[in-house]
Amino acid sequence: MTEIVAKFDSVSYLYPRSSKLALRDVSLEIKKGEFVGLIGPSGAGKTTLCLTFNGIVPQFYGGRFWGKIVIAGMDSLEVSIHDLARRVGMVFEDPETQITATSVEAEVAFALENLGVPREEIEVRIVEVLKILRLEGMEDKHPHELSGGQKQRLAIASALALQPELLVLDEPTSQLDTLGQQEIFAALHALNQKLGITVVIASHASEALADYADRLILLADGEVIASGRPNELYSQVPLLETCGVRPPQVSQIFHLIASRVGQPAAFPVTLNAGIAHFRDICEHYRLACPKFAALDLKKTGTPLFSVQELCYRYPDGTEALRGVSLDIHRGEYVLVAGHNGAGKSTLVKHFLSLSHPTSGKVLVDGVSTDRLSVSALARRIGYVAQNPDNQIFNATVWEEVAFSLRVLGYSDADVQCRVKDSLATLDLLEQRDLHPLSLPRSDRVRVVVAAALALQPEAIVFDEPTTAQDYRGAKVILELSRTLHALGKTVVVITHQLYLMPSYAERMIVLGGGKIVLDAPLRQAFHALETLRTASLVPPQAVLLSRVLDPEALLVTPDEVAACFFPND
Amino acid sequence: MTIGAFQTVARDSLFTRLDFRTKLLMIVVVTGIAFIWESPLLGGGLAFIVLLTCLFAGVSFAYIWRVVAMTAPFYLIMILTQALFAGPLIAARTGQDRLTMLLTFPEHWWLIGGSGFSREGLLYAANVVFKTLTMTLIIPLGIFTTDINKMVVSMVRLKIPYRFVFIFSSTLRFFPLLFQEAHFILEAQRLRGLALEEIRGIKRLNVYARIAIPLILNTMVKSQMLEVVLQSKAFPGDANRTYLHESRLGKADYILIGALSLFFVTAIISYFVFGLGKFGGPA
Repeated sequence: MTEIVAKFDSVSYLYPRSSKLALRDVSLEIKKGEFVGLIGPSGAGKTTLCLTFNGIVPQFYGGRFWGKIVIAGMDSLEVSIHDLARRVGMVFEDPETQITATSVEAEVAFALENLGVPREEIEVRIVEVLKILRLEGMEDKHPHELSGGQKQRLAIASALALQPELLVLDEPTSQLDTLGQQEIFAALHALNQKLGITVVIASHASEALADYADRLILLADGEVIASGRPNELYSQVPLLETCGVRPPQVSQIFHLIASRVGQPAAFPVTLNAGIAHFRDICEHYRLACPKFAALDLKKTGTPLFSVQELCYRYPDGTEALRGVSLDIHRGEYVLVAGHNGAGKSTLVKHFLSLSHPTSGKVLVDGVSTDRLSVSALARRIGYVAQNPDNQIFNATVWEEVAFSLRVLGYSDADVQCRVKDSLATLDLLEQRDLHPLSLPRSDRVRVVVAAALALQPEAIVFDEPTTAQDYRGAKVILELSRTLHALGKTVVVITHQLYLMPSYAERMIVLGGGKIVLDAPLRQAFHALETLRTASLVPPQAVLLSRVLDPEALLVTPDEVAACFFPND
Repeated sequence: MTIGAFQTVARDSLFTRLDFRTKLLMIVVVTGIAFIWESPLLGGGLAFIVLLTCLFAGVSFAYIWRVVAMTAPFYLIMILTQALFAGPLIAARTGQDRLTMLLTFPEHWWLIGGSGFSREGLLYAANVVFKTLTMTLIIPLGIFTTDINKMVVSMVRLKIPYRFVFIFSSTLRFFPLLFQEAHFILEAQRLRGLALEEIRGIKRLNVYARIAIPLILNTMVKSQMLEVVLQSKAFPGDANRTYLHESRLGKADYILIGALSLFFVTAIISYFVFGLGKFGGPA
C-alpha cells in the first residue's frame, strides 16, 4: 500500500477577524511520490491550504481550526512549526521576499542553521542541492544578481536542503516568463522522479500542470470541488470556467470541437497528446479553416512614438537596448513581448523620459523626449505599473484620480467634471469614497487607469498588467485595455503571457537581447515560431495545434481552431 | 542606489579580511577619541585618516561625497552658530580674556549686533565638523567592508542574542529595497504629472510625506510575508543553532586590537595629563 504523506480530515479554517471560512470541510490525501497541482481562482484557499502543510496555519496565524491534519505521521497541531519544517519544504510566490540571506550558499544554509545541522553537513548539502538545481558555481553570488527563474530555483534549493518528504510550492512561477516557468517545472519534475520527493504546487500554469502533475485538486471558496488526473479534470471545461480557472488551450479546443461535432467528452490535455489526437480525428470530420490574410501595420502620418537607433546602457555597463528602431502610430494596440530582462520595460520607460538614451532618439509626436519633462509627457501618456500599489498614495479613490489634475492646476469645476467622467468610464463611481488599497487588485489597477485617464492622455502603457493575476483578473484588466482602445487611445501592453493577447492586440513587437527580433501584425507574429523560439517565447497551444490543420490559415485562438471542424455530411 | 550598496565593498583589502569584532572595536575607539578630542588639528587629522582609509578600503568616493553633501547643511549651521555664539563658552574653557575677532557686525543689527566671527569660534566649529565627519565615516568603514553573514557570526560570538543580530542584518538587507520602493513611488507621482524638479520647500516635503503611505503599507505586507517565510525556515531556531560561516580572529586582528587599545589608552592619558587634544591645548 502506498504511504500517505499528508492526510486532511474535514479541515475547516477561519482567519482571525474574518467571517468567511478560508477552508471548508477539506478532506484529502497526498501519497508519497505524488506530484499534485492545486488549482482554483484567487481567493479559493490555495495559499491557506499550502500553509497548513507546515503548521503555519493555524499555529502562526491563530484563528479557528476544525478537523485534523496528519503530516508524515504527525498531527500538525501537536508538533511545532520548527519540527514540521524538517519534513515540509515551502516555496512562496515572490522570489524577492522569500530570500533572506545575502549569498546563495547562505540562503541554502539558513534553515539548516536554524535546525542546528552541523557545519560540515551543511556544506555537503549546499553542494548537493545547488548541483541538483543547476546553481553550482553561484555560491558567493548575491541573490539579487540572479534571474527570476534562478531565484525561485534557489528558493527550491533552500527547501530541498532540509531533505523534506514533502515540497509545497505556492504560485512559484507567477512572476516568471515562459522560460523561467519551464525551468521550475522541469526542476520539480526531476526532483519528483529521481528523488521521489512528493510535490504539491498551487499554480495557474495550466499547460505546465497538464504536462507534469499526476493529480489535480480543484478548489473554490475554500472547498475541494473536484480531484482527479489532469486529463479527467481539464476535460471538464464548463466546470473549470464556472470556477474561474483557465483550462489548457488544448482542452478548450477539444471541448469546443466536441460542442460543434459531438466529440467524446474525454480527450487529451497536453500539447503532444493533443497533436497526435488531432491527426487521428481530422479524417473523421470535414475541415474548412477560415483564412486570415496577412496584414500590414497601421500607419497614420507622424507616429505617436518614434524610436530611432535607441541604445541604452545601465550604469553597471549592462546593455539593455541595442539599436532599437520602431514607430507606433495613433490608435494602435501594440503588444511588447520578450523574456525577463529582454528590455521591454526599459524601452517603454524611454517613451516617458524615465530613462534617457545612451545614444539614439525617442520622439513623441515628433518632439524629442530630451526636450520634454516626465510630467509633461505624463499628460499625454498614461502609465500603469506592474504593481498598482506603488502608484496609489491617496486616501480615497476620488482623491487618487483628482491628484494629477490638482497638481497641474485645473480649476475645481474641471477637476470635479474630469474625475467624475474618468470614474464613470472605469465603473468606479460607487467606490469613490473608499480607500484604494481596500479594493481587490484588479480594481486597484482600474483606479490607476482612471487616474491616468483623467488627464485625457493619447496613449496608455500597461507594464505587465496581468502578472500574479488569475484568469478572471487578467481578463478584467485586458477588457479595460480594449475599452480604452475603443475610445481611440493608443494602447501598449507589455506581457509574456501570449495566450491572453490574441483578442486584444493588433501588433506584436518582440524584444530579445535588447534588439527587436520581430515586429509584425499579431497573427503573423504568433506563427513566426522559429523567431519566437530564439526569443525564448512559446506561442499559445492554439497556434501550434492549428498548424497541424493549416499553417497558412494563421489561426491564433481556440475558437478559430475549433471553427475549422464540421460534421461529415 | 543599487541593491547591496549598503552591504559590501567590491575591493578585497585588509579591512575585508578583518574579523567584524576587530572592526567593532575600531568603531568604538575612533568614535570615542573623536568625541573626546576638541583640537581641530588632531580632530581634522583623525577625520582625514579615516577618510583615506575608507577610500583605501573601497568605500566609493561617490558615497562619501553623498554623505558630506547630505550633512553639509548641518556643518554650515554649526560653523555659523559656533563662530557667532560660542565665544563666552570658549573663553571660559581656554581662560582667554578676549577672542580674536575676524569680523564684527554693527551694534544696531538685530540679534547679532556687536557680535562677530571669532577665530576661536571658527576653530571650535571646525572641531565639531571633524568630530561628526569621523563618526559618520567610521561606520561605513566597518560595515561596508564586512560580509553580512560573517558579521552575524561575529556578533553572536559577542553574546548578542541571535534575534537582535538577525534584525540588524535584515535591516541592512532591506534598506536598499526600501529605497528602491520609495524611488518607484516617486516615479509614479511624476508619471501623474507631478513636476518634482519644480517643487521646493514645504510642498516638496508634502510630496515626500505622501510616499510614506504606500511605503509603510508595502513594507507591512512584505514584513508579514517575511515572517511567514522565516517560520517556514524554522526561525529563530534553537539554542544549538549552528553557523555555516566562521568568525576567527587572525594575526592581523590581534595586531590591530593591540594597536587600537594602545592608541585609546595613550590618547586618554595624553588628554587628561598633558592636555593633548584639548581645545587651545598643545595641539
